[in-house]
Amino acid sequence: MQPGREGEQSPRPASYPRRTISRLHSRHIFHAYLFIAPVVLLFGLFRVLPSVQTLLFSFYKVELLKDRLTFIGLDNFISLFSDEIFQKATVNTLTYVITIVPISAFLGLLLAVLFNAKFALKEFFKAVYFSPMVTSTVAAAMVWWWMYNPQFGIFNVLLRLVGLPGQPWLMSSHMALPSIIIFSVWKNLGYNMIIYLAGLQAIPQQFYEAATIDGAGPVMRFRHVTIPLLAPTTTFILIYDTILALQVFDQVFVLTGGGPANSTNVVVLDLYRQAFERYNFGYAAAEAMVLFLFILAVTILQYYYSRRYEVAY
Amino acid sequence: MRTFWAPIGRLGVYIVVGGVAAIMILPFYWMVITSFMPAPDILSFPPKWFPTHVTFEHFVVAFAKAPWLSYYWNSLVVAVGSVSCSLLFGLFAGYAFAVYRFPLQNLFFLLILGTLMVPVQVTSVALYIQLSKIGWVDTFLGILAPNFASAFGVFMLRQGIKQIPVDVIEAARIDGAGEMRIVLTIIAPLIKTTVATVAMILFLGSWNDFLWPVIIINSAGLRTLPVGIALFKDPYGNINYGPLMAATLISTAPMLIAYVVSQKYMIRGIAMTGLKG
Amino acid sequence: MRRASWFAVVLTVLFLTPAVVLAGAAKTITLWYPAGDITAGAAHFADKNLFSEFEKKYNIKVEAVALDYDTMQQKIFAAAAGKNVADVLFVDSSWLPGFLKEEMLEPVADAKAKAWLSAVSPEIVELSDYGKGRMWGYPQYGIDVYGLTWNKTQFKDAGLDPEKPPKTWDEFREYAKKLTKTEGGNITRVGYAIRHVGHPHGVVHKHFWAIYGTGGALIDDPNRLRGGKALIDTPHTKAALKLILDMLDVDKSTSLNFPDPRAAFLKGIASMQISETVSIKARQPKEAPDLKWGMALPPVEKAGDKPVTLLGAWLYSVPKQAKNKAQAWQLIEWLNSQEKDFELCKQYDASPRYKANWEKEPFKSDPYDQGLKQMYPYGKKLPINLGLNGIMDAMGGAIQKVWHHEATIDAALAEAQRQADKAIADAAK
Repeated sequence: MQPGREGEQSPRPASYPRRTISRLHSRHIFHAYLFIAPVVLLFGLFRVLPSVQTLLFSFYKVELLKDRLTFIGLDNFISLFSDEIFQKATVNTLTYVITIVPISAFLGLLLAVLFNAKFALKEFFKAVYFSPMVTSTVAAAMVWWWMYNPQFGIFNVLLRLVGLPGQPWLMSSHMALPSIIIFSVWKNLGYNMIIYLAGLQAIPQQFYEAATIDGAGPVMRFRHVTIPLLAPTTTFILIYDTILALQVFDQVFVLTGGGPANSTNVVVLDLYRQAFERYNFGYAAAEAMVLFLFILAVTILQYYYSRRYEVAY
Repeated sequence: MRTFWAPIGRLGVYIVVGGVAAIMILPFYWMVITSFMPAPDILSFPPKWFPTHVTFEHFVVAFAKAPWLSYYWNSLVVAVGSVSCSLLFGLFAGYAFAVYRFPLQNLFFLLILGTLMVPVQVTSVALYIQLSKIGWVDTFLGILAPNFASAFGVFMLRQGIKQIPVDVIEAARIDGAGEMRIVLTIIAPLIKTTVATVAMILFLGSWNDFLWPVIIINSAGLRTLPVGIALFKDPYGNINYGPLMAATLISTAPMLIAYVVSQKYMIRGIAMTGLKG
Repeated sequence: MRRASWFAVVLTVLFLTPAVVLAGAAKTITLWYPAGDITAGAAHFADKNLFSEFEKKYNIKVEAVALDYDTMQQKIFAAAAGKNVADVLFVDSSWLPGFLKEEMLEPVADAKAKAWLSAVSPEIVELSDYGKGRMWGYPQYGIDVYGLTWNKTQFKDAGLDPEKPPKTWDEFREYAKKLTKTEGGNITRVGYAIRHVGHPHGVVHKHFWAIYGTGGALIDDPNRLRGGKALIDTPHTKAALKLILDMLDVDKSTSLNFPDPRAAFLKGIASMQISETVSIKARQPKEAPDLKWGMALPPVEKAGDKPVTLLGAWLYSVPKQAKNKAQAWQLIEWLNSQEKDFELCKQYDASPRYKANWEKEPFKSDPYDQGLKQMYPYGKKLPINLGLNGIMDAMGGAIQKVWHHEATIDAALAEAQRQADKAIADAAK
């Protein structure tokens, strides 16, 4: 978690008063445990326990209705590796991640640079760009589902108006995933822009002045001052967006339901289907473990990168 | 040089910013316009950018087909329930982690933060099985179960409380205030900006949450807005876009209005915490 | 002493009253059915007096609860796991394998099944009998039969006889070509609309006629629960897929841009479509009052072949977890008796199930019912194999891949064959 730095109470650990309360009140141990008890209890029950059980169930055949657990070792994972639909879902998820994350980060950065200048109605435009962010993904996707309609949707109607052939969008197995990506870029762009903007505003003006004195033009300044100094922000955006993109579900559920021909099936959707439509809970737990491993890998990556930047600063 | 290019540069900025803004806002515009257009307008070519006349027929259909007020109510119950519990528990836990030193403190803190790494997408299967054993499937408690407490809330509130000078707490203690009272009557007001930001982000997250509710809810009577809207779509793709857009507008309107009123604050809150809710 | 006897009297009264009241009170059983107009057969549940005669006769109260179709199957699973499921379930027959896999349904008693199978007409036998007279529920009247529907006005405009639907694949292709309209390179009306998106099961349902019509099938033994072999990578299925692929690529008489055949048909932007006839019959008066349409069996590969079409039904079943099984069966038998069949079909304008009722008016001379009766003998239900979900996913996926030009017919079907066989084997474990 590496948040932006606007606002009065930056969560960056360096900024709180050094004079902490460490010497105080070891007699408050009772209170300490009392105060953390609800959170620890609730997290233990509804977060930690299910996490451990997910791992456990992935080695079992789980028959909820018959109240039966059968240990089957690695069978679920072995089936997963020969399950063409799950493979397709994994490939789709990774394709989604590696296209949407850089695209929306890059566009977010461009817009943030634009918005770093002064112009009239800036706050208004900022609000417009950010509006998809506060709308529920399901509702927004519903509107796009209508706009993507091949006969009457606005996209094809506009294309036909300018004499271009209409596109099948969500109806085609080749275009459905790109269509979902376009939607997600629209949904995410404002967020990345705002985070970048916060990062830009934190860059001290002296750096630019020094670079200008050294004779650097705007492009040079962008490349040699802005980009390196924004590196922590970029890392945060890339990591955070990647973790969220790995869990993509809502827009796929609404726009395509994973079709046509599994061309937009993703890991969480497949997991949902296996568990809650087929009642293959053990198998779904194994899929969840695969998803977790991806998230874990990204988190480890983040750990290494953020350490590097802490050293650099 | 500079004076010559500046206006052109400015114009370029406006063209780009305005053009992208048009794309960003098009879906909202299209949703609103479709929901007020008479049915023939919706399927007309070339498209109508304004309805020939404003009609409420689609809202009538949308309200006849689904209990939107009940969906609002459910969303509200879930959001208020999860936000208030997360805030209350988070405030106490945040205080404990910020102010006290106690055995296993770091372990507990890491345990709480560690749950961020295992989202409900991963745990849903086991959580569902666990809740089905205690009869929480298809209940409000079931929807709330993974959202009673928020790791992000604990973290943010702890950071906020750490800003407060020790003297404040010590003075209160000397005055004879109990620890619980200190948290509720002295700490909470002092970090009200953080509390409000956390509340806003948690509310937004809960209001728009879809995956967990769609898993745990079976009854129409318990559906939250996103679940209601997702299931409002005809499973066979029936071309009834008027009522569908009316329903989407009904479900998004409160949040959009709240956003228009407080957008500056909402944007700042999210930029500050870096979280989408 | 006096006080003591009073005390005894009071005690007796206190203990007896609940017992008497309980004995006199009606037992309540519950029934779940899908809300809305997902199936015509569920219409009668809206009638509050439907069960009053039964309730009086047996002193049992019936509470019918409407569930949402989309989540109904999920809700039934969840409720069964939580042991608070309804006593009677009114369920889609395509959900059956899923329920049977979890060993969730009570079978119909052998004697009752025998009596039912000998009294109802052949299409109901087909839908009831899951091998050797085994029944898992009673099919409701108003069964789904898939048929070709065509737009008579558009036939006439295209120079075709509006009373003569295509009978063979060649005719079908030729008609579809004549009926297609294009504007500036874009198809604005298709001769035949295909269902190619959405749930893979739906895709298979809507193409069942072509696969079975050439002598193909999905599985070797349709009534076998466990094991068996999928029949997907076969010359029959290949021919069926090629038919539509040729219409897409060669004839350009259908298109991927008309994803909902029924809606397109009702909107007048598709001249032919094949799906449950009952849904066109139900929707046309409201959505397309001017539409003139006909219905017939789907075309066959060559003249002389026997057409095959899909039959589907909703069933009254009793879950193993039900609390009042005896009363549940009582209700089901009462509701599906010959008298009730006649009475309800007459009231709700549906086709009856009992052979005896077909001999009575109004069914004997109703043109729509008689039209359906002509199609019934060619109806087939889906296999019951526990791996059905996987078979349908594989087949539906292959159809989508081929039509979307993701894979050749041979490659897609070979892959689907593997997936389906694996699903059958996995489900049998």
